[in-house]
Amino acid sequence: MHRVGPAFPPVVLALVAAVLALAGCGGGSAAPSSSTPISGGSLTYAIDTAPTCFDPHVSGQDITAEIDRNVFDSLVSVDAKAQFHPWLATSWEAAPDLTSYTFHLRHDVTFTDGEPFDAAAVKANFDHIVAPATKSRYAASLLGPYAGTELLDQYTVKVDFSRPFAPFLQAASTAYLGFYSPKALTANADKLCAGGPANVGSGPFIFKSYTKNQSVVLTRNPAYRWAPETARHDGPAYLDTLTFRILPEDSVRVGALSSGQVDVARALPPVNVPAVSKDGDLRVTRAAVPGSVYSIYLNTGLAPFDDPRVRSAVQLGINIDQDVKTVYFGQYQRAWSPISPSTPAYDTSLEKSWPYNPKRAGELLDEAGWTGRDGQGFRTRNGSRLTVVWPAPPREYVREQRDVLAQAIQQDLAKLGVEVTHPSLAIGEYTTQAYSGKFHMLDLAWARFDPDVLRLFFDSASGPPTGQNASFLRDADVDSWTAAGAASLDPAVRADAYGKVQHKVVDVAAVVPMYVETAIIGSSRRVRDLALDPNTWTLFHDAWLDRA
Amino acid sequence: MTPAFARRTGDTSGTISAEPGTTDLAAPAGATSAAGPGREQAPPSGTGAAVAPDAAVAPDAADGLDGLDGPTAIGGAPAAGRGRGRGRRIVVAALRAVAIRVASALAVMLGAATVAFAALALLPGDPVSRLLGPMTTASPAVREQIREDYGFDRPLVAQYGHYLGQLARGRLGESYQLQQPVSALLRDSLWPTAQLALAALAFALLVSTAIAVSTAGRRPWLRAAASLGEFTAVSVPPFWLGILLLTLLSFRFQIFPVAGANGSLALVLPALTLALPIIGVLSQVLREGLERALREPFVVTARARGLSQTAVRARHALRHAALPLVTLTGWLTGNLLGGAVPVESVFGRPGVGSLVLAAVQDGDMPVVMAVVVLSALVFVVLSTVVDLVYVVVDPRLRTAAGVV
Repeated sequence: MHRVGPAFPPVVLALVAAVLALAGCGGGSAAPSSSTPISGGSLTYAIDTAPTCFDPHVSGQDITAEIDRNVFDSLVSVDAKAQFHPWLATSWEAAPDLTSYTFHLRHDVTFTDGEPFDAAAVKANFDHIVAPATKSRYAASLLGPYAGTELLDQYTVKVDFSRPFAPFLQAASTAYLGFYSPKALTANADKLCAGGPANVGSGPFIFKSYTKNQSVVLTRNPAYRWAPETARHDGPAYLDTLTFRILPEDSVRVGALSSGQVDVARALPPVNVPAVSKDGDLRVTRAAVPGSVYSIYLNTGLAPFDDPRVRSAVQLGINIDQDVKTVYFGQYQRAWSPISPSTPAYDTSLEKSWPYNPKRAGELLDEAGWTGRDGQGFRTRNGSRLTVVWPAPPREYVREQRDVLAQAIQQDLAKLGVEVTHPSLAIGEYTTQAYSGKFHMLDLAWARFDPDVLRLFFDSASGPPTGQNASFLRDADVDSWTAAGAASLDPAVRADAYGKVQHKVVDVAAVVPMYVETAIIGSSRRVRDLALDPNTWTLFHDAWLDRA
Repeated sequence: MTPAFARRTGDTSGTISAEPGTTDLAAPAGATSAAGPGREQAPPSGTGAAVAPDAAVAPDAADGLDGLDGPTAIGGAPAAGRGRGRGRRIVVAALRAVAIRVASALAVMLGAATVAFAALALLPGDPVSRLLGPMTTASPAVREQIREDYGFDRPLVAQYGHYLGQLARGRLGESYQLQQPVSALLRDSLWPTAQLALAALAFALLVSTAIAVSTAGRRPWLRAAASLGEFTAVSVPPFWLGILLLTLLSFRFQIFPVAGANGSLALVLPALTLALPIIGVLSQVLREGLERALREPFVVTARARGLSQTAVRARHALRHAALPLVTLTGWLTGNLLGGAVPVESVFGRPGVGSLVLAAVQDGDMPVVMAVVVLSALVFVVLSTVVDLVYVVVDPRLRTAAGVV
């Protein structure tokens, strides 16, 4: 193929390439391509992690949701503008106080085992999620203050909550709240995590097999007629077979893609993006991951970070622009808000509002009394050094070269006179101590297409271990705003409430937003109409393979 | 286990250097069973190092040797009576040896199980948090459910007792993360890993034998070149080697696929990656052994009978060289099992290696403990087999051991 050894000297090739580039062909595939979708063929998608558990009701893993999206359908779908569209529900009404939602379901939906989809199926699934025996690690929290599901008639359900719960529609659009055939739920209860034919849904693909740590094979569901309104077409998927090939090694995934052995590859490392982009047979798709960006949370309850001036100094004293650009080869953008630009209610006014300012940072530390210097150049106050602890999770949890980024941050702060220790801890020690507020800094990110993540991270009732309030922030204003956002479906009300939260937590320096996680997906140009949902997970229902 | 192997190495080299007692026996044994001239038979020269494998299976050989031994024995008991008495003693001794074997095997397994349990129990932090990882919104109710289901709320001693009790009944428990029986997970993973390990082993044996036979005692530059290659193979991390092989033979020249991981073609690169460091060690050991054997007098005798240099190497000297190889079985097994972890991860293969890697990362204790116990079992079985193989390969050990 196009990678086999060059027969010409590099100079000749370079000349040819230059001529082609000038001619505007750019080495692109000149093969004729069809514009109407072609049915058939099999597509292989290289993924970087193996799901631990395939049951979306149990696992909170992104990869589980991404694979399961093809097998399980949801009540509603959501577009990039956060507008909700019919899917398994044709219409719905929310109670004015948002404590219940009534869904009118499609009548023509059947699971791939022949069972009909109806109100009872909705109830069985939601009840399964919250049942203690399910040990749900994520989906149950998406149901929030779930109080039960009532069957109004065969195709009408009312989902009740014990308090106003605006994030429910978004939650209902994810695969985590996708629907199993009720028969599969009862008959295969102990096999759902393992993956395979036991996972029966109503989606465009059928779960055929899983070979552990190797591949997941899905086949087309020929009876599929109930695609969401956000899809390009309504009938069955075009692909006969969809294979997820698990290749954890970055270079192997990239090699498999560029040698044409896989059609699509997930999580391209930033360092490889330029080379893949230049390849005329490949295409790179980027999308900012919604939700909470990769940030460093400063523990507002632990000295010396109980002094807001010290926290602000740290926030202003890290050269985020340069660090992120250097470590990620310019592929990830730096963050200004604790939520990413692709999240609804993102506040653009925060952008460029708190640039790198080492001078101001130094002044703030002087004001806070950290005026002395010790032999190693670190600041002191009353003889004790300005030192903070930022634990590193075990290697297997470190993604995206965050360890390298951490070194850059440590150096920036050392220049300011702040010592940051970054010990690597075993996971048990890490979580246990982090939950009890023993650390000054913690780095976290959380993907979700809803600004409600702000409640997860900053609401005083969202303390660890259940919530992620790693700043240990106790702020009555923030609490009231996150509550207001969670109690309204009105975009204007939500934008206002969540905008205030974003400003406040940056102003009080409870958080240092670092960079916007970005999904980078490489694909062969043969692959057409491959879509990403707002969570940046691939959607294969519309995808098809060009013959060329 | 290492000390045991080290001790055996000492024994082996002791026998290779031919004790006088075995020297006397080997020649007549070869002579009595001389069914045909030439092939595989030691010349009746009395140079005990010549091995006579055709001198067959233990009991007959022992009897035969016993009879021949008669004249030199002190005391004049009738040979037949002595044979019966000795037979009974052999049976008793054999039973005792078997009992000791089984007991020590159980002790090793218990030790492995205990160490695995202790290592995981002593990990810092709350086991539920460890299991859930840092990114979770699991509610307190879910945490309690997990704690109760997996018995984390019970005292450590009770957990240990429960674990051993289950283990004794052959129950390996259920994976915390995958929510499947560990035995089912192992059953699905064993064959792919065995395939990989066996392919690598076959490859390693073939290539290292070829290298050793062709380079032992030959020109110094050839030897040096082989040594250089061997040291390189040993020092390159398998992880990196795998990526290198893939880049060259799968991505650049698309000979071996990485995407479709089924079929024998997809097994080649992983097996090669696993085999190369082993080849590096094996061929050194084999060459060393060959060169030592080639200095033995029987080689001259064999050459005098008209055998070619290569025939002497392949048929006679290689057997001597193979003995230290048997001793390396433990090391070899460790390498094949341990090496499977990075290889399975790089090539995205199913198997015990990738299973245990994920289990260690996710704090999936039942899986980790099961793999540890399984590995101990493999080692115990193999070391027993090795002891048997010694006697088969080197008949001189039969008299030394008396019984297996």
